[in-house]
Amino acid sequence: MSDPVRLALYALACPLAAALVAALLCGVKSLRHLAHLPAIVGFGGAAVFALMVLSQVLGAEGESVSFVSPSVTWFSAGKFSVSASITVDPLSAVMLATVTFVATWIAIFSAGYMHGDDGFARFFAVMSLFVFSMCVLVLANNFLLLLAGWEGVGVCSYLLVGYYFAKPSAAAAARKAFLVTRLGDVGFVLGIFLFWQIGGYHTDLDKLFDYLAKNPPNPGMLTAACLLLFCGAVGKSAQLPLYVWLPDAMEGPTPVSALIHAATMVTAGVYLLARCASLFVMSPDAQAVVCLIGGLTAALAGFIAVAQTDLKRVLAYSTVSQLGYMFMALGTGGAVSPNLAVAAAIFHLFTHAFFKALLFLGSGSVMHAMGNVIDMRKFGGLRKLMPVTHATFLCGSAALAGLPLLSGFWSKDQILDVLFEARAHGHHYKGLYLFVFATAVLTAALTAFYTFRAYFLTFWGEEKIPHEAGHHAHESPWIMLGPLCVLAVGAVTAGIVVEPFNHGFSGFLAKSPSVRLAVAQAMPGTTDLPHPHFSWVLAGIGTAAAFAGLGLAYSMYRTGTETVPPSLRAAWRLSLDKLYVDELYAALFVKPAELLAVLSRYFDGFLDGFSRVIAAIPRAAGGVLRPLQNGLVQFYALGMVMGLAVFLTVVVFRSGR
Amino acid sequence: MISLEHYLAVGAVLFGIGLVGFLTRRNFITMFLCAEMMLQGVVVNFLAFGRFHGHLGGQVFGLFIVTVAACEAGLALALFLMLYRRGKSLDSGDWQGIREDGLPPTVDLDPLARPRPEPEDPHLPAAGAKPVSKEEALRV
Repeated sequence: MSDPVRLALYALACPLAAALVAALLCGVKSLRHLAHLPAIVGFGGAAVFALMVLSQVLGAEGESVSFVSPSVTWFSAGKFSVSASITVDPLSAVMLATVTFVATWIAIFSAGYMHGDDGFARFFAVMSLFVFSMCVLVLANNFLLLLAGWEGVGVCSYLLVGYYFAKPSAAAAARKAFLVTRLGDVGFVLGIFLFWQIGGYHTDLDKLFDYLAKNPPNPGMLTAACLLLFCGAVGKSAQLPLYVWLPDAMEGPTPVSALIHAATMVTAGVYLLARCASLFVMSPDAQAVVCLIGGLTAALAGFIAVAQTDLKRVLAYSTVSQLGYMFMALGTGGAVSPNLAVAAAIFHLFTHAFFKALLFLGSGSVMHAMGNVIDMRKFGGLRKLMPVTHATFLCGSAALAGLPLLSGFWSKDQILDVLFEARAHGHHYKGLYLFVFATAVLTAALTAFYTFRAYFLTFWGEEKIPHEAGHHAHESPWIMLGPLCVLAVGAVTAGIVVEPFNHGFSGFLAKSPSVRLAVAQAMPGTTDLPHPHFSWVLAGIGTAAAFAGLGLAYSMYRTGTETVPPSLRAAWRLSLDKLYVDELYAALFVKPAELLAVLSRYFDGFLDGFSRVIAAIPRAAGGVLRPLQNGLVQFYALGMVMGLAVFLTVVVFRSGR
Repeated sequence: MISLEHYLAVGAVLFGIGLVGFLTRRNFITMFLCAEMMLQGVVVNFLAFGRFHGHLGGQVFGLFIVTVAACEAGLALALFLMLYRRGKSLDSGDWQGIREDGLPPTVDLDPLARPRPEPEDPHLPAAGAKPVSKEEALRV
């Protein structure tokens, strides 16, 4: 019972059991409305086990802490051997605890939010399966096992985005999410293969990292492999070329958006890169790409979020933008000590899970009351109507905007800090890191602006309720408000408790063997790890940016109505139309693909016709000869006689010659 | 002097008559007899050549052919009997079922006369004498 690996296995088993029970409940009509119970109990159990794992890992002695389960061969062929083993180290323990904790509260919220829905049991079955897959992803000590979890969460995301599958837009969004992430996954799989080849034919993560640390591969190959892995992360974590699926994924039920598309699944890419930090630090070029993509995504998504009218879309673009922040931080590993980079990214992941899940659940609560209307132009001034939702949403917004002392402030500050330091120490890419730092500050201001724009438009000004709401326009039940309150407490305090005064979070993460290895590679000979330090200047810059955005939002939107200064109308339009990226992709990729499909269809028809012509020849010949078989004995006898006559004639004439 | 050619001529005539008969007649029994006739024409040829060459090979062939023809006759007549029981007809034109699918059956413009239904055998009483009238039967 005390073994962390065994506890982690229990944490894995809980959501799997919940998924099975909920799936079985799907088949029993009279019990379907109870399907939330296995999910809540299963996630809660998993969270308890995850916290026990966390406390075990926290209590473990030593510079690097890792517990690896005995490996079981999953399958093997020649040199390709895949073992199913899980690893518990600080990184996976933190991630596991975050995932299961947030999932538990979201499951409780869903029980209220999804109440009375037709697919109630299906929802919880897939949700449980999702949590199981996510735990597999987090705990896997093998690239292939990680991939299994990675695809598992992808499938569950597809099923949940397309939860209202009768709605064409939801079905299209689910397909888009699946296909776009699949594009990244192709790169991910290729990256795994390449690492398998250059990494001594290991697929176990710990062995692979050790091998590559001892036998540095060709830098070009390594950069290519890292970039291919990053491709997978780009798809899953919705980064720049492939972020388009995430805003559309908001077609799914709101708790799904909170759990999958804010707190857990989309952070899988960040987790992957953090896990593979020791590979990435060996390739400064790949790191620069990661950082740049993160910076561009953060700024672009922040800009698009400014003018969105759909509350959930604002939050979706905000998620994309915050994920960009995490990648920026990861991209500095090597230029700064990798433990700082990883700590900053995972710390932001950790706090983001709280406040973004809170914001999504808050928007779900608003949606619940407003009769599924989510357009911010149609409602407003809900402060009085929904006091608890308002208060918790305010907590989440403030944390997201990075107002001082809240969780988002501390994690964002760490990211700005590592970026600023990377500018000073990055050998090759000083200019790039400076550019990304500037982008990050700009994005911080944008974040505060769009977050509070959404907040003001929803909760301030004159009370405005859409007629769809009918008599439902009231505060949500306590089963929904409870999770909001818990997450709000987390959003406010999660940052200040774990990190700024004792560096507990970053110190703990630095005990992960992969992070230690990354540090040993990036700065050989370092014995004591640098701690993140608090810089008043950077905190001041971050705070100033946040307050600038907040002030601007207050001055423009405190009346709760959308006002656009005429001089900015063009930019506003550009933001509202999402920079025309979807249209660009449609013209560049979708239309040519459609054209290609049509051409292939015709070519296929041509081939079919060709083979039909060939098939018609024997048929026609048969048609000519078939009447000979007319079933009359005399006719057959005549045929024989004629044949005999011809034969004899030939024989006679040949022998007579 | 009867030379080889005479025998061959007889054989050829027998064969020719059999062939023509086989091709022109539709009654199974007749066709069967014609086929036998062709066989006998061939047998005559064998015997003639055997004699001409002065050894017994031809006669051996002839004996074989006669034996095989006897077996064949047994089989063929049994088959005809079965066909007749099924269709009450010995007309080979009535059995066109082995033609290709989709081809129309060949319709005979001048069909053979249907055989007259045979008079039913009278039921004989146990005593064996044919009763003259019903009353008589009752009496018996």
